[in-house]
Amino acid sequence: MDIDAHVESLDMPENLILLWSERARTDLASKVGDRVITGQDLARNGRGPFISTATGQIRAIDDFRGPDGHDYLAVAIKAKSQDSFDPTLKAIEDIASAAPLELRWAINRAGFNTLSSISSDPTLWPPVDVVILSALDLDPVSIANQQAFREHGDQVESACQLLLRSTGGSRCLLAVPQNLSHVAHNISGRTATVVLVPAVYPNGLPEILARKYGAGLLMRGSNEGVVGNTLVVPIEHALAMVECLHSGKPLVEKTITFSSGQNGKPKNFRVRIGTPLAEVLHKAGTEPQPRDKLILNGIMNGYTCFSDEQPITSTTDSVHLQRWSEVFAFQNAACTNCGKCNAVCPVELEVNLLGRFSEYGIFEKCLALGAENCVECGLCAFVCPARRPLVQFIVHAKHAIKAETFRAVSMKEVMDSDTQGPIPPAIKLFDTSPEEDPSKE
Amino acid sequence: MKPLNLTVSPSPHCHSGARITGVSFSFLVALLPAVVLGVYYYGLDAIRVMGASVASAMLAEALIQKLLRKPITIADGSAAVSGLLLALILPASVPLYVVVVANFAGIIIGKQCFGGLGANPLNPTLVGWAIIRITKTWAGFLDFDLMLINYDTGFILQYPLAVLKAKGPAALSRFDLVALFLGKQTGGIGASAIICLLLGGLYLVVRGAIRWEIPLCFLLGVVTVSGIFWLADKAAYASPLFHLLTGNVMIGAFFLSTENGSSPVNRWGMVVFGFGCGTFTVILRAWSIYPDGVVFSCLLMSLFVPMLDKLKAKQRIERPTPLTALTKTAEERTPL
Repeated sequence: MDIDAHVESLDMPENLILLWSERARTDLASKVGDRVITGQDLARNGRGPFISTATGQIRAIDDFRGPDGHDYLAVAIKAKSQDSFDPTLKAIEDIASAAPLELRWAINRAGFNTLSSISSDPTLWPPVDVVILSALDLDPVSIANQQAFREHGDQVESACQLLLRSTGGSRCLLAVPQNLSHVAHNISGRTATVVLVPAVYPNGLPEILARKYGAGLLMRGSNEGVVGNTLVVPIEHALAMVECLHSGKPLVEKTITFSSGQNGKPKNFRVRIGTPLAEVLHKAGTEPQPRDKLILNGIMNGYTCFSDEQPITSTTDSVHLQRWSEVFAFQNAACTNCGKCNAVCPVELEVNLLGRFSEYGIFEKCLALGAENCVECGLCAFVCPARRPLVQFIVHAKHAIKAETFRAVSMKEVMDSDTQGPIPPAIKLFDTSPEEDPSKE
Repeated sequence: MKPLNLTVSPSPHCHSGARITGVSFSFLVALLPAVVLGVYYYGLDAIRVMGASVASAMLAEALIQKLLRKPITIADGSAAVSGLLLALILPASVPLYVVVVANFAGIIIGKQCFGGLGANPLNPTLVGWAIIRITKTWAGFLDFDLMLINYDTGFILQYPLAVLKAKGPAALSRFDLVALFLGKQTGGIGASAIICLLLGGLYLVVRGAIRWEIPLCFLLGVVTVSGIFWLADKAAYASPLFHLLTGNVMIGAFFLSTENGSSPVNRWGMVVFGFGCGTFTVILRAWSIYPDGVVFSCLLMSLFVPMLDKLKAKQRIERPTPLTALTKTAEERTPL
C-alpha cells in the first residue's frame, strides 16, 4: 500500500494535558499555578522525569483513569505559543564517545519512555540481548514510523549506535517493511542488520517482532520485575532520540495519523504531545457525534477514549473515528470449534479452548494453556464466524491469573514471615483442594 | 460544554464479516455441482431424497431446540448442510422414512445432545448413516446394486467397491478410471460425482471454510495404505487410484471428515486425523465385511479428536525476574 506522506503541522493548542502513568500527586514537584517551561522536569527528585512539552502555567492537576485501563496523573497546562526551552537539558555532541550511563540519563531526561517504562532509574536498566529498531507501524493505517524512516534514513546509523551503546545490547536489528526496502538499501553503516518484514498486521506489534526476529521475548517492566531479552524501539522514537540528544531539546512532538470511516482518506498531523483529540478532530474538519468511537492506536488492538479531551501521548500513533453505524457488536454465541482462531494466532495459543474455559471461569486451565502469552492482537476475534468476544475472554482470564498470582505471592510472604507456625505448603495457583479444618486436629 | 457520550469497548473494533451462515452457505455452494449431477442421473428421486433429508434435519434441530428451550438456530444452515450430506451418500431410491429417522437420530443423538453445533463429538451426518447401516432390516437400503437396479443411467450399474469385495481386483478391468473420475459410477446421489466433489472441496479450501490439512492427509492416507497393500499383492488388492475414485473417499475427505465439531483444530492433530481416516478407510475396505469404510473410519477417528488436539507445543511462560537480580552493581555498570 502506498502511503500518503503529506504531514500537516498543528498549531500549539491553548490547553495541553500531560499524562503520567501510575503516579500520584505526591510524585509531582510542581503545583497548580506554577509557571513551567518546555522541557522542565515536573517530577520530584528521583521519581523519574515527567517533561512539560510546552511553556505556560499549570492550570489543574487531577487523577485520570486512562482508556487503556491504567491510572494516570493528568496535568493541564495553559500553553503560550512561544517556547522557552529548559537550559538544564544539555546537548551531547558526540554520541560515540559519550559514556553509556550519560546517554541513558540524557534519553531519560529528554522524555522518552521507551526504556524508562522498564525502570525510571536509568542505572537499573537491565541488560538487553537484541535491540530491534522497528520501521513498521502498529496499525496498517498509521505512518509515523515509515515516514520517519523515509525522511531521516541517514540518521538511522547513529540511532542504532545510540541504542546499542546506551542499552549495552549485543546486536541491533532494523525491521523494515518490505515496501520500503529501497530506503534500507541506501543506509550507510553496518551497525544494524536489516530484516525485511511483510507489512501485514500483526507484524508491527513489538511482541511479534521480538518473537519472530529478535531473541524471542519482548522486554517489559512491571512492579514485579523484568521479563524478556529483546527491546523493540519504534524508529520514530529512536530518530527523535538522536535529534534531541544532538540539539539538547526535549521530545515535544509526535506524528499521528487520523482516519475516519471505512473509506475516509487518512490525514497525517504533527502535533504537540498533550494536544487534546478535539483539536486534532477540529483540524481534520470532522466532529464526533454521540455514540461514535474514538480509537487510539489502531482498530485491531487499540483502545477507545471516554471523551475527546483525551490527549495525544508520546506513544499515540493513530486516531480513528468510527461512526456508530460502523461499530461492530460481538455476540454471545457458542464456539463452533472451527479452529480459525488457532490458525491465525501469532503466538500459537489454543484460542478455542481458552475462550471456552474463560467463559465458564475455569482459569486454572487458562493458566495451563498459556493465556498470559496472549499479545491481544485481536486476530482471533476478527476471524471468528460465531463472532465471539475472544480477546475479552482471554483478557478476563489474564486478569484473573494476575489477581491469583498476587494473592498467592502475598499469602506466601505472610506465611514466610510467620516463623512460629508450621512450614507453609508450597503455594499453588488456583489450588482447589479443600482446606483442612483445624478443629479436627 | 455538554459532555460527549462516546462508545467505549475493548479491541478489536472491527470484524472480518465471517458468519456461521456464510460457512454453511459455502458448503451448499460447494455441493451444488454434485447435487446437479445426482439430479441429472437419478431425476426426481434424487430431489425427493435430498428435500426430505434437508427438511427433516432442520425440523429435527428446530424441534429439539424448542423442547430444550434453547434459541432456534436452524437459520445458520448447519442442519441443512448435514441433511444434504446424508442424502448425498444414500442411494436415490431409499425410502423417505429411513431418511427422516436417520436425520432425527443424527441431529438429536449426534449433535444436540452434546450442546449443538461445535460441541458434537461425532458428525451428525455420519451418525445418521451409521444408524441405517447397523439397523438389521435397513442395511439393505445401503446396497447400491439392489437399490439402483431400476435406473438407466448409461454406465455400469454395479457398485465398484461391491464388485471389488465380491470378485477381487481382477473383475475391476470393466471400470474405466476416467469414467469413474467423471462421476459415471454407481453410488450415493452425490458421493459418486468425484470431479464435482473435488472442485467443490477445492472451492471450500480457497474460501477458507475448511482447512487443507485434513483433506490432503485423508487422500494421502488412502493412497499410501492402499499403495502398500497393492504393492504387496496386486492380485488381491485394488490400485490406490481405484480407491481414490470410488465410494465415499472424495466426499469424505472434503465434506464429511472436515466437520468442525468432530475434527481437530490444531495442525498436527489435523494431519494425524486425516491420515488416520484414510488409513482406516482402506483397512476397512480390505478386511471388513463392508464394501466402503469411509464413514466408520471418520467416526472412529472423531473419537480420538480430544487426544489429537493435544498434539501441540506447550506454551512457555516467562516469569518476571526482579530488577535487582538482573542488573549489576554500580561499579560493574559504569564500564558497560
